[in-house]
Amino acid sequence: MEGFMDVLLQPLEDFWRGFISFVPNLLAMIFIFILGFLFAWVIRILLMRVLAVVNFDIWCDRVGLTALIRKGDVWTKPSEVFVRILYWFLVILFIMIGLTALQLPTIDNLISQFFLYIPRAFSALLILVAGYLFAGFLSRAVLIAAVNSGYHYAKILAEAVRLLLVVLILAMALEQLQIAPGIVVAAFSLIFGGIVLALAIAFGIGGIDAAKRIIEGEGEAKKMEKKEEEEKGEEEKGRDIEHL
Amino acid sequence: MGTEKIDILVGIASFNNARTIGHVVKAVDAGLMKYFPDKKAVIVNSDGESMDGTTDIVRSATHDHAAIFLSHPVYPAHRISIPYNGIPGKGSAFRAIFHKAVEMEAEACCVVDADLRSITPEWIELLLSPVMKEGFDFVAPLYSRHKYDGTITNSIVYPMTRALYGKRIRQPIGGEFGFSGRLAAFYFGQNVWETHVARFGIDIWMTTEAIANDFKVCQTFLGAKIHDPKDPGADLSDMLVQVVVTLFNLTEKHYEKWKGIKGSMDVPTFGFRYHVGLEPVKVNVERMMDIFRAGMRDLGPIWLKVLGPGDFGRIEGIGKLPGKDFRFSPGLWTSVVYDYAIAYHKRLLSAEHLIKSLVPLYLGKTASFVMEMEDMDNEGAETEIERLCMEFEEKKKYLVNNWREGGA
Repeated sequence: MEGFMDVLLQPLEDFWRGFISFVPNLLAMIFIFILGFLFAWVIRILLMRVLAVVNFDIWCDRVGLTALIRKGDVWTKPSEVFVRILYWFLVILFIMIGLTALQLPTIDNLISQFFLYIPRAFSALLILVAGYLFAGFLSRAVLIAAVNSGYHYAKILAEAVRLLLVVLILAMALEQLQIAPGIVVAAFSLIFGGIVLALAIAFGIGGIDAAKRIIEGEGEAKKMEKKEEEEKGEEEKGRDIEHL
Repeated sequence: MGTEKIDILVGIASFNNARTIGHVVKAVDAGLMKYFPDKKAVIVNSDGESMDGTTDIVRSATHDHAAIFLSHPVYPAHRISIPYNGIPGKGSAFRAIFHKAVEMEAEACCVVDADLRSITPEWIELLLSPVMKEGFDFVAPLYSRHKYDGTITNSIVYPMTRALYGKRIRQPIGGEFGFSGRLAAFYFGQNVWETHVARFGIDIWMTTEAIANDFKVCQTFLGAKIHDPKDPGADLSDMLVQVVVTLFNLTEKHYEKWKGIKGSMDVPTFGFRYHVGLEPVKVNVERMMDIFRAGMRDLGPIWLKVLGPGDFGRIEGIGKLPGKDFRFSPGLWTSVVYDYAIAYHKRLLSAEHLIKSLVPLYLGKTASFVMEMEDMDNEGAETEIERLCMEFEEKKKYLVNNWREGGA
């Protein structure tokens, strides 16, 4: 009978011992959660004030970040968005740290994978933000230069430059995140190559008439100019305007 | 020559000017002999590594002394050709000239362009005498120019400099200047040689620093300025960026100086003013208008950001007018320039993009000016420029008020 009781109670005792040894881990996890929320909350308040002092929202307006988040249908201030992202990042980070306190092998394994992924996610985010700013800057430079040169399709050219850069940046970010890298590289090569080919065809074939008109126009204009010069005489030809 | 002390230094900045520099050196040499025979003088050619033998011509250029009617013994000025360091450009070349002036403790200096075809020995007297005989520190040039020439000067630099600092220096970016050894030392001591001052920004920088730092300034009438055609590769956008960015940087730097100045006054003017026959100028108004309209079509969002809805609406309004009726009023242009200065101060866009986006507006204004002045003579054009200057002076309050909001 005693043997039977031992068999019956042993699992309960084991469970109880396991539970007793698990409780401190559980309490530690809850404590880390609470600490994490408090820490994230304090950082949120402090950061909001710092960003207000350094005019972060005005800076975002200037560099075009506000426009970017508006395109994503986000209507809160950029500083608020930034602080919220950081707040939730800290909260998730502390949840992960808290979960490690449970010392469960499966969870530990998942968490270590999560932490290994953070640098990649961070790099991808940096590539996206810096890439967006760079694409905007370069596209604007192309637009202004093309307008000042009297090029008629300045906006299309600038948008084409932006599109090419955006495709390149997205491919780089996805490659960094290791999301189907083989497919991303192949897709990027196809899209990028396609765009370049389309532009080449557009300029090459589509521009035949325009080129013809320009050449004919220039030829005509040169003939007219020569005729006018002959009529007016050398003394009336004059020199170009001096801007300085 | 080494570091021997001298009285006069004449600087000539050059880059592939073999065609004209011989004439310039001869004129300078003759001017020094004729008007400053008892002074120790040196001609410094600051060259940007010319490949066409410019420096050889500087060393070998000689002239017939009898042709300048000298009754006294003549001692030709020493000539030095030095390569300059740093960013390639006129400003870097001038820096080497300032350095030489400081090293040789020159009492008076002047600088002339190497591509001049109209320089005479009298220019040297006119640029140096106010410094040597009248105690001035800075002598700006005054030229007879075609009514269509000097459009950046006439529509931006002169009106704005005059309104800000209250001095009517008509050619603040003329290119030829006289200055004292004291001012040369001041220029040389400034840390600006990695900026646009090292290039076309040098002229407005020299003029503005002289005024803003209370050096004694004047101007001198030199007659007509005729020079070799500019390098066709010299892009208008780049020139405008270099000049206007320097102008706006100086506006930021000297805010405390200009904010309280109201109106403007003439500066002492030397030289005998006379009418000069000027070369005709051809202007392609159609092309200017095309670029203005392209700007209105494609740069609208940038202009709206810089000018605000009011002035942008007015620009849109005139842009819809047919070519012959197109007019850019002095009031609207003044607002445009001041809005750009404020946008630059508030860093609304990168400096280069901001000023390059001004090019179509500037060409629109120039086209309007050319059409308006078609039947007018040079005096009529000058009256119109005076009207624009008065507008800049009257609207200065707008600039001051908005500048403060920008955080100055």
